[in-house]
Amino acid sequence: MNMTTPIEKREFKIVGKSVKRDDVLEKVTGEAQYTGDVKLPGMLYGKMKRAAVAHARIKSIDVSKALAYPGVKAVLTHENVPRVLHYGSPHPRSASCTKDQYILDDRVRFWGEGVAAVAAISEEIADEALDLIEVEYEPLPAVFDPDEAVKPGAPILHEVGPGGNLVLDPVRVNRGDVEAGFAEADFVLEGVFSGGRPHPAYMEPNICIADWDGSNKLTVWISTQTSFMVRGILAEVLGLPLTKVRVLVDHMGGGFGAKQDCFQHEFLCALLAKETRRPVKMEFTRHETFVAGRARHPCKVWLKQGFRNDGTIVARDMKLVYDSGAYGSHGPGVTTVGTNAATSLYRCENVRIEGRCVYTNTPITGAFRGYGVVQSYYALDIQMDEAAERLGLDPAEVKLKNAVRQGDIAPSGHAIVGHGLETCIKHGIDAIGWKKLRERDRTPDPKRPHIRKGWGVGCEMHGSSAYPGIKEQGNATVKVNEDGTVTLLTGAAGLGTGAHTALAQIVAEELGVRFEDVGVIHGDTDVVPWDIGAFASHTTYLVGSAAKIAAGKAREAVLERAAMKLQVQVGEIDASEGRVFVIAEPGRFISVAEAIGPSKGIPAANIVGNGTYEPTKSYSFAAHFTEVDVDTETGIVEVKRVIPVHDVGRVIHPIAAQGQIEGGIQQGIGHTLTEDYVIDKKTGRSLNAGLVDYKMPLSMDMPDIETIILEAAPDPGGPWGAKGVGEDPIIAIGPSIANAIHDAIGVRFHHYPITPEDILKALREKDA
Amino acid sequence: MRRFDYHRAETLEHASRLLTELGDDTFLFAGGTDLLVEIRERLRRVRNVVDIKAIPGLSDITYDETRGLTFGALVTVGRLERLPLVRQRYPNLRAAFASLGSIQVRNRATVVGNICRASPSADTIPPLIADGAFVHIYSRTDMRVVPLSEFFTGPGRTVLAKGEIVTGITVPPAADNSGKAYLKHGRRKAMELSTVGVAVSLLMEEGVCSDIRIALGAVGATVLRASQAEAMLRGTALDAATVKSAADKAMEECTPISNVRASADYRRDMVGVLTGRAIKQALETFA
Repeated sequence: MNMTTPIEKREFKIVGKSVKRDDVLEKVTGEAQYTGDVKLPGMLYGKMKRAAVAHARIKSIDVSKALAYPGVKAVLTHENVPRVLHYGSPHPRSASCTKDQYILDDRVRFWGEGVAAVAAISEEIADEALDLIEVEYEPLPAVFDPDEAVKPGAPILHEVGPGGNLVLDPVRVNRGDVEAGFAEADFVLEGVFSGGRPHPAYMEPNICIADWDGSNKLTVWISTQTSFMVRGILAEVLGLPLTKVRVLVDHMGGGFGAKQDCFQHEFLCALLAKETRRPVKMEFTRHETFVAGRARHPCKVWLKQGFRNDGTIVARDMKLVYDSGAYGSHGPGVTTVGTNAATSLYRCENVRIEGRCVYTNTPITGAFRGYGVVQSYYALDIQMDEAAERLGLDPAEVKLKNAVRQGDIAPSGHAIVGHGLETCIKHGIDAIGWKKLRERDRTPDPKRPHIRKGWGVGCEMHGSSAYPGIKEQGNATVKVNEDGTVTLLTGAAGLGTGAHTALAQIVAEELGVRFEDVGVIHGDTDVVPWDIGAFASHTTYLVGSAAKIAAGKAREAVLERAAMKLQVQVGEIDASEGRVFVIAEPGRFISVAEAIGPSKGIPAANIVGNGTYEPTKSYSFAAHFTEVDVDTETGIVEVKRVIPVHDVGRVIHPIAAQGQIEGGIQQGIGHTLTEDYVIDKKTGRSLNAGLVDYKMPLSMDMPDIETIILEAAPDPGGPWGAKGVGEDPIIAIGPSIANAIHDAIGVRFHHYPITPEDILKALREKDA
Repeated sequence: MRRFDYHRAETLEHASRLLTELGDDTFLFAGGTDLLVEIRERLRRVRNVVDIKAIPGLSDITYDETRGLTFGALVTVGRLERLPLVRQRYPNLRAAFASLGSIQVRNRATVVGNICRASPSADTIPPLIADGAFVHIYSRTDMRVVPLSEFFTGPGRTVLAKGEIVTGITVPPAADNSGKAYLKHGRRKAMELSTVGVAVSLLMEEGVCSDIRIALGAVGATVLRASQAEAMLRGTALDAATVKSAADKAMEECTPISNVRASADYRRDMVGVLTGRAIKQALETFA
């Protein structure tokens, strides 16, 4: 990795340095506490009975045998849980759409949906009891394809909502005059693109533990990205005030967006605990993370664009259809973000874009890294490549020419800051000698005549924060202890991204203490300030800004106190690395502890800084340059080398940022080549709900990745110009691979995953 | 994980008796890398598990130039994979062992377990069949020896009668004029079940192929021999055109199915590609 161009001539002590992560020792020694490590006296184990039918009404459900089974303590069905219609996601954005879920319904809408829950003294007994629950179904006609689902006469999944199996009214964006644009075009490209159903496959399966105390207060230990949302929806559905629900999250084994829904088992866990008056633990099996977790929305994208002969785009007409599965979940957010994103990346004044989201009798799709944008930019970037091909131009140059830039209208509606995308493309072209690669000798290696080599470039941009869909708010509280150490209280979840380390770096830098002296308290809704949740690549940008504000206030109080002790004016002193010194006389200093600690019978100063930050949005950018080997006999595509060039504004922790980029590339390679959660289109049954046949790339499959992080376009919205990096890397890798495959074998693919069978079939069609 | 009863056998006789007496749903347990997963994933109904790890004499590996390589039922895949002899004389076995699961799995899993599971896609079976290996089977009344190529009767099914236990495997000696290869085809490089696996073991005498065995994995109810393809190749110099025709013949001989891993057509195509490549690789020994 290399970094270039610092944006501000400021000497940083901690920010921009790869300090040792605060959780690294706990994690490598196995001491880190995950929800599954919590063991409470008398704890019961809960399991869910899942439907083996895609669409049906429950005629009867008999739990008598299960209840009588030794060791079983409670069984819940739709007949004895509260019937409260609620949002699938307790997310402010989804709150703008239809409430379409019950904890348990008398109807099943997808294969794998929960129909009953059991609590027993062991996991084994609970599991065995599931077989004793007898459910009689009245099958209903089912629909598995979004195109079929919107046809007149298709089976309707929900009585609520806009109707016709639409999750929300179509999202439409119109700018300029599309017809006039096409009239000006020298040529038009039109194509249909489609995406599979990749699953985040986070390492830690969904899990929660619920316990009610003597005062009728519910405590929930849970692996979630949105602890305050979980608190809110549990309180609402269970009819409790917020003081009676406490949600605790310590370490998490990933989420990738999918852990911001409220899942059936989370309500049922609380209800089973209430019923039995004992703590209850419910943990998904790996199988359940697929059938009852959340995958990316499969999609179909129709894209027609008009181009001039110089490669510029004059009109963009686009329709996107996202498959929401059986419930709405994040469908509205994903559709809105993905549709709006398609206005940008490559500049075009005349756009007409429509996004739809459709219910089908398939497992629920939800939030997932790249939130709707993976799908729309796959289409946009590949068609840009095709335009370059048609004109005989270099695709990198054509993308550079069309790249969004300073002042352009962003998907969020405000002006783009800086020239991030252009800088990434230019930097990548130089760094890898792109021009030479384009002109290389294409004769196959005589030792491996069946291998063809290709290079491709793919571009992306992605927002930090969910503005304008959500008016966000970040909060932080910074307390300075009497020994000069500092405690940061934050509600931001630690998915495993290193977010808490970055926040501690920001606090230490702003306050002028050592990084090691900042402790982070997180994940207890009774203690930390309200938090919106960890999503939208916004934790460093949003909560980082709030932490900087809070630390700044604490710093002012420390300096005031120090000024008295040093007998100077506040303006004459500064703090750094735990010392407050006189600027003109750096040798004259006292420690922060001396400045605020107790002396001569006077107690220590109680210093607390609160920060609240309400951002708009910033955009991060990337161009990925990717090399592939295509085996023309087996159809296997091997990604050999990726040079991801990212602009993320100010980098807080270079190694953590690099880790995010490498991880996103690994996930993106999987989605583009091997990963697809397959639902049988005849029965709705899951065909590969497990890690045996859901093929994620592993370490052996990883290419060389040479990450380049630029600080080219800092955004004033984030701390010292920092922007998000979480979602970006998964977006550009896909089109870069598809474009590289085209470069290798001369075949265009408009879908993912691109399987070996697809490659062979296309090669045969090409030869025929 | 479903509950099951655990029994520890002291001797082969003890294990065999437990298998007979405890009735159906009783399974031998050595590495456990398949069995425990199947119990947890509810793929196999198991009431009793008979641990054979304490039975003496099942962990030996021996080699001599007349009898060949013999290893016991408790010998792990990892141990054989790391054995210099296997590396030098049986590159086909080495390739199969090194492609099975992960390092952690290979350090628990036994080759005999992989064989007795009788999966058509098991990586260790094709090269052992191509090498003409045979299995030693214990029963309380006698011992018998069965060629591995006759051991399987269907997916998950073998010729083993109730109470019979495979105690080990013998692979004939690797001749100096032999060439061997195993090619595994999957979507990723580790932790992968074969989409197709092709093993070739051949003998060359004065530039002519005097014998060849081709075994095909994951393209039938059991691992298959491509005997017609073999017949086309015996007595030839294995020139490119003959190899191509034989590879086409192997495609006709296999009987693949379509599933979520691959279509039948694709599997058949890969039999053709991999048969050609495996013969080429086996011949590299003589290059």
